[in-house]
Amino acid sequence: MSELSKLQASCLFEIEDCDNLKKLEMLRSAIFGKDGRLSGAMKELRNLSDEQKRRHGSEVNELKSLLIERLDEKFRKLEIEELDRKLASEAMDVSMPPRPERFGKLHPLTIVEEEVSDILSSYGFFFADGPDIEEEYFNFTALNMPDHHPARTMHDTFYIHNLANENGRKLLRTHTSPVQIHAMLAHGAPCRFFSIGRVYRSDYDATHTPMFNQIEGLMIDERVGFPHLKWIISDFLRKFFEVKNLRIRFRPSFFPFTEPSAEVDMNYEIKNGRMAFGVGEKWLEVCGCGVVHPNVLKSGNVDNDKYQGVAFGFGLERLTSLKYGIPDLRGYFEADEAWLNVFGFSHYAR
Amino acid sequence: MRFSFSWLKHYLATELSVQEIAEKLTAVGLEVEHIEDPLEKFKNFKLVQIKNAQKHPEADQLKVCVVVDMNGNENNIVCGAANAREGLKTVLAMPGAVIPKTGELLRKRKIRGIVSEGMMCSCEELAIPDKQIGIIEIHPSVELSASVAEALGCGDEIFDVSITPNRGDCFSLKGIARDLAATGAGKFIVADETPCKPSFPFSLNIKYKNSESIRGYAPLIAFRTIHGIKNGESPKWLTSFLKLAGMNSISSIVDLSNFWMMDSGRPTHIYDLNKIKGSFHIRFANVRETFTDIKGVEHKLLPDMLVAADDESPLCLMGVMGGKKTACNSETTDILIESALFNRIFISRAGALLNLTSDSRTRFERGIDLTSCVSGLEGLTRLILENCGGEASEVRLVGESPFDNERRVFLRKSKLQKIGGRSQDWDSVKNILQKLGLREYESNASGSLFCVPSWRADLNIEEDLVEEVLRIAGYEGIPAESIDMSALGRDKLLKRKRRIVEAKRLLASRGLSEVVTYSFTSQRYADAFENEKKNIHLMNPISVDLGVMRPSLLPALLQSATRLLSRGSASVGLFECGNIFYNSCEQKTNIAGVRLGMVSARSWAEKMRQADVFDVKGDVLAVLDHYDVDDRSLSTEPFAPCYYHPSRSGTIVSGKKKLGYFGELHPKICKLFDISGKIVCFEVMVDQLPSQKVKASFDGGKVFPKINRDFAFLFSAKTAIGNIIDAIYQLDPLIKKAIVFDYFDMNASQKSIGISVMLDAETRTLEEEEAQVVSQKIIQYVEGVGGELRKK
Repeated sequence: MSELSKLQASCLFEIEDCDNLKKLEMLRSAIFGKDGRLSGAMKELRNLSDEQKRRHGSEVNELKSLLIERLDEKFRKLEIEELDRKLASEAMDVSMPPRPERFGKLHPLTIVEEEVSDILSSYGFFFADGPDIEEEYFNFTALNMPDHHPARTMHDTFYIHNLANENGRKLLRTHTSPVQIHAMLAHGAPCRFFSIGRVYRSDYDATHTPMFNQIEGLMIDERVGFPHLKWIISDFLRKFFEVKNLRIRFRPSFFPFTEPSAEVDMNYEIKNGRMAFGVGEKWLEVCGCGVVHPNVLKSGNVDNDKYQGVAFGFGLERLTSLKYGIPDLRGYFEADEAWLNVFGFSHYAR
Repeated sequence: MRFSFSWLKHYLATELSVQEIAEKLTAVGLEVEHIEDPLEKFKNFKLVQIKNAQKHPEADQLKVCVVVDMNGNENNIVCGAANAREGLKTVLAMPGAVIPKTGELLRKRKIRGIVSEGMMCSCEELAIPDKQIGIIEIHPSVELSASVAEALGCGDEIFDVSITPNRGDCFSLKGIARDLAATGAGKFIVADETPCKPSFPFSLNIKYKNSESIRGYAPLIAFRTIHGIKNGESPKWLTSFLKLAGMNSISSIVDLSNFWMMDSGRPTHIYDLNKIKGSFHIRFANVRETFTDIKGVEHKLLPDMLVAADDESPLCLMGVMGGKKTACNSETTDILIESALFNRIFISRAGALLNLTSDSRTRFERGIDLTSCVSGLEGLTRLILENCGGEASEVRLVGESPFDNERRVFLRKSKLQKIGGRSQDWDSVKNILQKLGLREYESNASGSLFCVPSWRADLNIEEDLVEEVLRIAGYEGIPAESIDMSALGRDKLLKRKRRIVEAKRLLASRGLSEVVTYSFTSQRYADAFENEKKNIHLMNPISVDLGVMRPSLLPALLQSATRLLSRGSASVGLFECGNIFYNSCEQKTNIAGVRLGMVSARSWAEKMRQADVFDVKGDVLAVLDHYDVDDRSLSTEPFAPCYYHPSRSGTIVSGKKKLGYFGELHPKICKLFDISGKIVCFEVMVDQLPSQKVKASFDGGKVFPKINRDFAFLFSAKTAIGNIIDAIYQLDPLIKKAIVFDYFDMNASQKSIGISVMLDAETRTLEEEEAQVVSQKIIQYVEGVGGELRKK
């Protein structure tokens, strides 16, 4: 065995045997360094004849390439092993719970108000607003409920202490219909408006709270009548309840501010203890509506010969309860965390 | 209004079923809320006769009976009733029956070792108002093949109909039948209205002052006396009708009066003639006069209420309620009947002021048939003479009928089409109106003039007639027609509303839950939150706790917080968006929130931290940021309304506008709400915020290097660092951001503040020398306000 073969065998063995990067680095120096083993072999070349130099030189160079290649390979292998060991040592218990985040809940009325606004605004209805503290005139008289009208006693009204002006006493509005008058006076005809807001009635039992929310809609045009009312309400209910085949029934009723007036029912049945809409033969009342009474148009300064109007109202809590299965009206205003956790919505809910 | 099907048939000849009648009623606007069907109620009940009754071998009190039904089927029944005896006919509930009293489903069961295949029922168990003891005893003459309901005298279906307040005429069987007949549900039966033959003249001295005010209240009254009646128990048909209508039987005279009111819609009042002392006066109540009603309740009358009185005292609050003094009883032999027209406004007012409701008031204030004064009196007289005997006097009328002129309303074909949406055959339109009692007076090509019948006070304008036609023809026949939706525009108010919802979402993402609370609060709480402005009080609150319009959203939030804490919540984060009210009815939209306890949940990953002033300041600023309020325009003033902690609260202002308050709640308020522990809260005045996002320009996003400089300063402990930061922003336009990255108290009089400033020239690379100049400016400014640069 020549010296060179011995050198090759020992170097390859040591490279193979090396088990960490530091040692491998040292081994590289021991082989290729200034006084390294391979350098020794290179130096010996100087003492040889040209013929021997050529033959032996190419052998040395072959050996050099081989060792470089093996070393690099070993480096790569050890690096991977080293990284694997390091990563293994960094182990975490990923089964641990994450950092807690706390989000609040949105009240269901907020979500439903948005749903309702989206649908009504798609019909070209603009949002209108009115004050919670109204004047007798706007709440009653302008809406065709003159003094001592029996319907006035049906609205158990909260009055404000010691406040009155030429429009009568101040009171908490008993419905959102006064917004109709404000909107007509401010914008004239033709117009389309809706409003959502708080109303107040002096009534408190299992099914009544002294405050609740109403949705009001008004459309005035030269040619608008009962057929349009039918379309608006049917389309609205089908969109809101997301039931294409919802059956809708209009039945005659009475409101002082509309003539003719109607109440609207939709069909349902009880399935597994829950209400299912658009199926079954039972009827559920959801809306009051009608063709605007000419006296109301007059109050709004609208020419009742030229224009006609339709108006409608829904209970916001009622729509909410029906759509989301909320059983008790009182829960809405009790600020109960448990209630909110069940019926509230997350802040990114649409 | 409740009534039985057979009563309805007095006025309507119909072939329709109960269900079909109910559908028609609802379709014309007389909403059927409920139908009571006795066949349904007494399903799984049957009539049986006891074949034999033996003592139970195991129990002395029980009997084992064999009963037999119409088909000869026998059942073994264990029964505890003393009257269970051989030959008795009674009612048997079979397994599957629902016992009316308890609502329980009956099952076969063993009683003391013997199977009972059903239960023999008492009146009580069937919820029948009768005083019989033990199981029901059916009259021996009743065949076992009869239905249980018939045998019990309640075999009739009952309608419960809700009458809208405009339909005074439908508070009677007559009116309801007339509407039904108009829909084609049957033929309207006209009642016999021949007057009774008087036996003697009317002799009671009636004092009716024909003054304007009395005429305005009671324009016309008809009287009659009947002598020699017998006021005993009512006949069976009468009690049965009233029972099914939900009324108690009192005496035959009272029952007949009630029956006649329900039947014809005509309220009357009957006085015991012999209890009237002296003359009969129709007059206004005297000042401080009292009146004892039929139930024995005393009322203080007002001088604008009309009473019937004798020489001594008021006998009746006219149109509203009768009095105790002249009430009829079994000794009554002679009576005075009053049948009147009253002004509905005054009746409504008198009833409302005294909080008295009655069937009479209900009908008068909704409008009764204006011509029924005498005809109604005649009808009742006939009933009394038939059922109680006696002889009737002549009719005495006082006042005069104010309604000589018929109301006439013109209906245009074009109006009908404009509202109803389709042209209708004019003959069928006229036919509908005629069936409702309207009479065509004259007509031309455009429409017809109709005379309105005396019982329809609600028909006054063209639209009223349109409704009559549409409702009788049926709303379901009106086609739906879509509206044109091409004209959509920009809705500023809706945008504003949506913005508020976005702010709510933002606050929820910051850990606060949204609540909705009442707009009114208690005086106590309102007073504590009255802030330089006057609170608004309700005149008639539902309770003292809800008597004042809220001057702030905080009281209700704090109440909610208290409640949550008492239920064991460790931390609370709530907010509400709504209106507040003050002065003479000003109302403003606010968003307010409260935080209490830990900001985050307990966890291995983070230290827990109590909610503090800077959490709620952050809430306010987050909302303002959402509204695109320029934060360079904002400053924090170290004061807030009196309900905040005086030195741990602030107001965020922009120029002169106060945009929000935040801080710890004043301990005295905490005490008021019974909250122990630190609670922080905030309020944002939404109406003060910009309504629209300002569009900024964007230059393509070229970015140049920025320079950051950190400073460590010493300040006096009293220095408001927020103001220093605000001022630093103003020092140089290159300063784009200044943040406090470090803060600690050196000692009682000094604090160390680390401020990091970011400089950016935006359109070019910033030179080191420029940064040096700005740094010097900052240091000079700080030293100018008493701070100093910390030496390293």
